[in-house]
Amino acid sequence: MTRKLLRGALPAAAALIVLALPAGSLYYEYNAGASCARCHEIRTHYDAWHASSHRDVTCGACHGEITTLDAGFHWGNLRRLVQHVRQGFADPVRLSTRDIPRLMERCRSCHRQEFAQWQSGAHSATYRRLFLDAQHNRQRLLMDDCLRCHGMHFEGGIRDLVAPLDARGPWRLLRPELADQPAIPCLSCHQVHREGELLPRAARQIEESAAKSAAKSAAKSAAKQELSRPSVGLFDRREQKHFSVELLPLPSMRDGTRALKISPDTRQALCYQCHAPEAGGLVGSGDDRTPVGVHEGLSCLGCHMKHGQQTRASCATCHPRLSNCGLDVEKMDTTFVSTASGHNIHFVKCADCHPKGIPRKREAGAKRGSPFTAETLRRGGNAEKTSSTEGAGFIPVRQPH
Amino acid sequence: MLDDGRYGLALGHVKIHSLRRRRFLRIAGTATACGALVSCGRQNTPWRFLTAAEGRTLAAICEQIVPTDQTPGAAWAGVVNFIDRQLMGPYRRQRDAYRTGLMEIDRASVSKFGKDFASLDAPQQTALLESLTGGAQRFFATAIAHTMQGYYGDPRHGGNRDAVSWRMLGVPVIPIRGRNRYEFPRQGA
Amino acid sequence: MALKHVNAVIVGAGAGGGVAAQQLAAGGLSVVLLERGKWYTASDCRKDDLRNQRTSVLGNNSGPDEERNPRVVVDLKGQERVVLPSQGAYSNNAACVGGGTFTYGAQAWRYQEKDFRMATTYGVPEGSTLRDWPISYAELEPYYERAEYEIGVSGDVSADPFHGPRRQPLPMPPLPVGREHGILKPAAQRLGLHPFDIPMLRNSVPYGGRPPCMQCRWCVGFACEVNAKCGTQNTAIPAALATGNCELRTGCMAREVLTDARGRATGVAYYDADDRLREQTADIVIVSSAAVESARLLLNSKSKMHPAGLGNRYDWVGRNLQGHTYTGAWGLFDFDTYDDIGPGASIAVCDYNHGNPGLIGGAMLANEFIRLPYQFVSAVPGGVPQWGRAHKDFMRQWYRRSIAIQGPTQEIPIAESRVEVDAKVKDFWGLPVARLSGGKHPKTMETSVRMAEKAEAWLKAAGAIRTWPKLAGKGTSGGQHQAGTCRMGDDPRVSVVDKYCRVHDHDNLYVIDGSVHVTNGGFNPVLTIMAIAYYAAERIVKSRKGRGV
Repeated sequence: MTRKLLRGALPAAAALIVLALPAGSLYYEYNAGASCARCHEIRTHYDAWHASSHRDVTCGACHGEITTLDAGFHWGNLRRLVQHVRQGFADPVRLSTRDIPRLMERCRSCHRQEFAQWQSGAHSATYRRLFLDAQHNRQRLLMDDCLRCHGMHFEGGIRDLVAPLDARGPWRLLRPELADQPAIPCLSCHQVHREGELLPRAARQIEESAAKSAAKSAAKSAAKQELSRPSVGLFDRREQKHFSVELLPLPSMRDGTRALKISPDTRQALCYQCHAPEAGGLVGSGDDRTPVGVHEGLSCLGCHMKHGQQTRASCATCHPRLSNCGLDVEKMDTTFVSTASGHNIHFVKCADCHPKGIPRKREAGAKRGSPFTAETLRRGGNAEKTSSTEGAGFIPVRQPH
Repeated sequence: MLDDGRYGLALGHVKIHSLRRRRFLRIAGTATACGALVSCGRQNTPWRFLTAAEGRTLAAICEQIVPTDQTPGAAWAGVVNFIDRQLMGPYRRQRDAYRTGLMEIDRASVSKFGKDFASLDAPQQTALLESLTGGAQRFFATAIAHTMQGYYGDPRHGGNRDAVSWRMLGVPVIPIRGRNRYEFPRQGA
Repeated sequence: MALKHVNAVIVGAGAGGGVAAQQLAAGGLSVVLLERGKWYTASDCRKDDLRNQRTSVLGNNSGPDEERNPRVVVDLKGQERVVLPSQGAYSNNAACVGGGTFTYGAQAWRYQEKDFRMATTYGVPEGSTLRDWPISYAELEPYYERAEYEIGVSGDVSADPFHGPRRQPLPMPPLPVGREHGILKPAAQRLGLHPFDIPMLRNSVPYGGRPPCMQCRWCVGFACEVNAKCGTQNTAIPAALATGNCELRTGCMAREVLTDARGRATGVAYYDADDRLREQTADIVIVSSAAVESARLLLNSKSKMHPAGLGNRYDWVGRNLQGHTYTGAWGLFDFDTYDDIGPGASIAVCDYNHGNPGLIGGAMLANEFIRLPYQFVSAVPGGVPQWGRAHKDFMRQWYRRSIAIQGPTQEIPIAESRVEVDAKVKDFWGLPVARLSGGKHPKTMETSVRMAEKAEAWLKAAGAIRTWPKLAGKGTSGGQHQAGTCRMGDDPRVSVVDKYCRVHDHDNLYVIDGSVHVTNGGFNPVLTIMAIAYYAAERIVKSRKGRGV
């Protein structure tokens, strides 16, 4: 009797479970994601997405399609739905660690060039490379703060990622599937749900406004868009959300006791979040690489490419000729040539090579030979008049207002 | 005293992971999924706990507490969203206080000015809030504390949109803090 | 299945229990360390202005569980109410591995010599239970030093002429200072005071394999993401576990200390993480649950032989509950004082700890930790509305131009300020909850008001254009500095434990935490709790050695 009942009940229960699982997903995704907006938790995200440059990329493309066989995906949706109906408090919807590879593929399918640049640069480092580096781990204990910049989307603490947390090792990832995943994915510096123009339309607008130079305000807004795309923002692990680059601070830097004037390029605020000086803003402290010395006042983006951070072609932007000393700048003994050099390109000063004092320039030569004239600056592409007080080497960058 | 049925319900979801409950929840989930579609549509409120009308009254009260001047006020900063969200969690013990408090303020407004609170002009709203007594006054004290939390607290909780208050005060939204530097050896070196 | 008998079971993995566990384990004893909370990491409790140990309007970040652990508080009018851990009156410390040291501000003060001899120095005011400690500063000095070196303290007290004799300087230099330090130091000197860098259980240089403080603005009340704050969770407890002699069990709520027919402690009954009742037998039982919960556990350990609870023959368990009466002042300046460089608290004076005419004791005064925006909301002086445009203007205008100075006024203990167990209200496990009642001695209030005046004077000297005092209420205090409920003494009739922290009637039952403090100094108590743990644990290990463990 009991057996008979079981025989009937078991398949029924199984069928129920199979059917129940995607119920949450079905709820969220019917009507091409529009039902997402019904949910109070999702509405703001949905609205932001709907006004963003990515509005023709559907929810499922990044958050997972309903047809997926990934039970975890459906379970998460179901759980949220149950909480919602029971008036419990649901966590805000966000991408999880395991969504990142899918998302990266989606980014790559449109932004091929940016993706390739990123991939060839240092920011594409994998979890394995960052967290299993024996030399690093022997010198410094891994800690939760590592995840502020590396693996900022990782759900959990350092204790959930690497073991053992000591200086002896050998170290292993507790989530081995992350080993070859990038720890600084696109989402570290880009927010998808952000108001913005559709890309092709934006491009057309810039062309049009350039043609009608009289329409100054339009040109301005186009220029702003060009300087920093609305998607640029930091994913803050503490708040678990993005902060647009214009909300991020620029530091007050000092070189010893001297206040250091840094480039007003606001895009750098993103770089400074991770390449940051220690409290107090001493140049070169902590992870800071604020240029001081001959390159003082340059923006990070004056030399580094946006996605790959490469600098190979950067010298020529400002140094069309030889250096003040008549040497080929690309061959001087700096870290630009070799990381083994003692002269870090960020901090190199005249006095590093001229310890007895900087030689007086030959009058005529200086006038003709100095690379830092208004003319060369203009040719460098960052054209705007440079005031004399800002001095040589200070590359003005147009600021968004 | 500590726990009525409603809190018990909220407490229940903490255990959602436990195996004993999982099966029950799956079944419950299926049953409620369809119902949810209907009920959400019918509620016709952008909020989780508040009704649309309550949300409107509360927004006006919050805006009185932190008004818009050269910086946006509580309404823009999403303080109603913050409070509504917390009423599903840490503030759940104050649900009744909100329900009756908002009602009393609107009632006082109608009896004094013939209009609901949100429809009054700002000086009338201020005057009304300053004249509150008894339970309504106690509710307003709660609303002040919660509005301040929503406006000056962390954006993650649904208020302080774009860290508007922190920027107003001159607090770096995310501080710039370096750690000890470590140079990675070049790959392949 | 019965649990394996061990040499020692310790209830509570905070400042006292963590150090005791490490010392006993290193001394070769087998130890079980029970902790009712979890072993959190900084990642579990991300810095949140509204949800932390200090501002818990959206909950606590370091326990205890909000729903399972109510208390009853009786106010000055005799009104009693049930309170939850996130409410101020609860007097919450923490429930997690590391206890309060997981989120504290980490000020590492030694009490002064006079703090151990308060009754001798000042006499016993009427209505108080003021006593001398049975031990002196000199006896504790070597253990203060051990705490400073083994757990790790930075700072520089050489400019403080009031501290007791010490053999060694602090192991780490002070952190680089911020703007407030630069404003307050010359002002204090102009007043003839002796300002110096606050000693802190915080790395200023790499120490113990952990990096230095990065000086962020979320310090007191928060877990440290760089592990620069030195708590027992990243020092003593991992060291204890590394010996192989110590087992840490989290999520374990102690029900009672078990005793045999002769009155010896035989172990601890507790509810494990799955709420099953377990019994851990041991040769020695150590209660280290902080002043409120330690007293509650002893009072809840009732038996025929001990109808009023353990160690409570003379009704002293739970009495003399004290924390600190924090008072001070706010000052507004016509220039920026805010620099977002943490932890904020950096400069102190000890000129007012003793020797104040007409007062009993006093307080160390220091600038306050960085105040987060929401914490500044209620800082408005009289005359400024609590809401509306004027309040917003006040915030905008003064947030970056204010300094707070405050100090922990030493409290004069009274028997009426106490922890009992409530007759009706039970916690999740059915155990009677702690019931807090009582108030403060008038002399405490008098001193605290005078300390606020001193703080105001310091701010004025620093150029504050407006100052106002920050005063304290008369209700009983406890909080993170809770102490005194199992006071130490030679006479069993007026104390709970002897000078080695052993409960008078039970030769294998110890209390090792702030509960044993006879008086609580005019300082943050944690370094003293740690020093006493070193001191008491050393004695336990030695006495066991004599008997061949």
